[in-house]
Amino acid sequence: MAIEKYLSRFAAAVASPYEEAHRRKANGQKVIGWLLTDVPEELIHAAGAFPVGILGSNKNIRLADTHLQVWVCSLMRSSLEMGINGELDFLDGILIPQTCDTTRAMVGIWRKTCKTPYIENFMLPKQVNRPSAREYLIGELTRLKTKLEQETGEIITDERLRASIRLFNENRQLLRRMFEIHVSHPEVISSREAYTVIKAAMTMDKAEHNKLLRDLIKEMEQKVSELAQHADHPNSKVRLVISGEVWEPPELMDLIEEAGGVVVGDDLLTGARYLGPDAAEDSDLLEALADRQLKKIPFGGFDNQDYERRRFLVDQVRQSEAMGLIFLHLKFCEPENYDYNDMREGLNSAGIPNLRLETEFTNLSLGQIRTRLEAFIEMIGGDLIE
Amino acid sequence: MSEPFKTAALMKDLMVKYYNRGEECRREGIPVVWVTAVFPVEIIYAMDLFPYYPENFGAVASARKVADKLSEVAERQGYFSDLCGYARCGLGDAYTTEHLVGKILPPDLLLCCNTQCGSLPKWFEAAGRFYKAPYFLWDSPFFEDKVSELSQNYLLKQLYELIEFLEVTTKRRFDFDRLQEVVALSSEATGLWNDCLEMAALKPAPFGFFDACFHMAPIVTMRGTKEAVDYYRQLKVELEERLKKKIYSIPNERHKVYFDHIPIWPRLRWLADIFAAHDTLVVASQYTHAWAMNFDPARPLETLAELYPQQFVNRGFDYRIKLKIDFMKHYSCDGFVLFSNRSCKPSSLGLYDKRKMITEMTGLPGVVFEADMSDVRFFSEGQVKTLLETFFERMG
Repeated sequence: MAIEKYLSRFAAAVASPYEEAHRRKANGQKVIGWLLTDVPEELIHAAGAFPVGILGSNKNIRLADTHLQVWVCSLMRSSLEMGINGELDFLDGILIPQTCDTTRAMVGIWRKTCKTPYIENFMLPKQVNRPSAREYLIGELTRLKTKLEQETGEIITDERLRASIRLFNENRQLLRRMFEIHVSHPEVISSREAYTVIKAAMTMDKAEHNKLLRDLIKEMEQKVSELAQHADHPNSKVRLVISGEVWEPPELMDLIEEAGGVVVGDDLLTGARYLGPDAAEDSDLLEALADRQLKKIPFGGFDNQDYERRRFLVDQVRQSEAMGLIFLHLKFCEPENYDYNDMREGLNSAGIPNLRLETEFTNLSLGQIRTRLEAFIEMIGGDLIE
Repeated sequence: MSEPFKTAALMKDLMVKYYNRGEECRREGIPVVWVTAVFPVEIIYAMDLFPYYPENFGAVASARKVADKLSEVAERQGYFSDLCGYARCGLGDAYTTEHLVGKILPPDLLLCCNTQCGSLPKWFEAAGRFYKAPYFLWDSPFFEDKVSELSQNYLLKQLYELIEFLEVTTKRRFDFDRLQEVVALSSEATGLWNDCLEMAALKPAPFGFFDACFHMAPIVTMRGTKEAVDYYRQLKVELEERLKKKIYSIPNERHKVYFDHIPIWPRLRWLADIFAAHDTLVVASQYTHAWAMNFDPARPLETLAELYPQQFVNRGFDYRIKLKIDFMKHYSCDGFVLFSNRSCKPSSLGLYDKRKMITEMTGLPGVVFEADMSDVRFFSEGQVKTLLETFFERMG
């Protein structure tokens, strides 16, 4: 199968994100959704349920507005809209990670407005550096494990959990490999395509995603070695890091590429933050999941004094040899809005050009964004663009 | 609000002394410690450090109607108008040369508890960077339903981490006996504060929510000191005297209502007048009751670890509905007013459904209005007035 064929499979999964979940449900499997993004999916999987990411929607928001203020981010508003309008009635449960004030309030509103039978919090520690955080998080994962066992009637044995962790680690490793090829050879797989493959991982069956991804990588590697024979292939794209929550609406990726950019790194919930580090397979497994969470890249929802975001973003730009950084900030996202000033200062003092775009899932005026992206990319790319 | 309180002068005096003491501490090299309103300040007093409340600064700037001006400075710096109004005041003051309500007291240390919200930690982080001062987050998990042993252990363990952090950064030893004394003083003050709030249940009442907003500064900033105990003892005596002399909070009290949560500071007078004009006394709010805690001085550290994080704002939907209804019953309310405050997602999200549910459960009329506690740019007088007047009509 050619690269395009594989990519169209991932694109189809993203276009109908809950198709696989529906199929699982029809086969009698429990389906447990989760809101973005710091959840231990492995535990849901090891309990025999199908974990599926609830990723918001670009459709108009209508019903949610009578339950949730319009000055809340459109990720939560559009996710709640789906919960209310019946699109998510297939869910047997939903796991809500407590990462900000909106998610803290969402759980109660979800209980009153949506039909989801089982609604669970994942209460993450908001500081990640002190010993108390790890001890607490292991306790919280233990609590969650017990709750999932009660809910599914399955025992999460070490054997099952280890197998799930192995499967998810493999997925992360494959995604990293795919992304590496994208960064070195964006002509083989574009930014939008690469991020589509990542997003598809959040709603597809992991084993199937792994299989398709392995095959895709083989094809990509083949293509890369073919290209290598044609000596100097010009790479004239402007390398960019994007920072924020989500790349929504997805057309943003096209606009970046059409303006001559290529995304070589990110910290998005639907990107690098979803991947995160692997969990150890040979130690205590709940401790391994806790450590995976605590070692994730910095994020505005957590106090991480050992690795401040300003430093992380500069490192990210340098390591990926990017020429600039674009913030994709969801309107009304408080953690980002508080951090922006400091992150911008950090980038400015390191001499890294940056641009902030305010985004929403719905009704975003793309024309204006296109103009700003073109101007920014032209400014930092200079001769490359010609 | 009827004739002035005698204690008002005392309060002014007390607060002037408090702020002067802050300046003195800076000069003397006694660490100024920024704390959040719902934070175990007892630990700071027990170490003879000076606690400073930037939220108070926000409230004062808001009440003096300059929050929008300070906010504009923060916005030019790269903060956003949809962030918490208090944070915008504090950050605006950091970056301005025009200190419209005096300069915020720069911290040597910043201590924050996130039981109130996720905004305070972000504001304190930013301030910590600006003032180059160490920052400590006392992280409270959300209590949707029950308070788990897991969370409680985590909270207590962190208080030990906090004490160690303070000992290291200030090079002072922490004294647990002293903490016990401070918690006992705190407990006495919060008890007296509660007694004052209770007087709103009388009909007609000598004290209501807007009076409480006026008299709350010492319980927020000075609980744990003798001054706070003295202040509320005197306030209580004065309220008893006023009751004997038939001086009531509003002239013709006909209705009592529950108000959730904080006032619109720049329109406090306007808001108080509109209720008074409808012979309606606002009797209670979970906001002013937040400091009516009942500590156990015999277990000083544990009682702090339990009571602060368990505040209403960190509780789940059903708990908070029940809390509101309990207040309405206790104070014999005829209706309720819910403030959807743009500055405060933890207090505001969920109010639309709560309004409906409380009416269904109690039969009482209620209303939700939209505004901002600090910033008049998000206040539409006509709209709020119309909503409130419709509400008063429904109450009869």
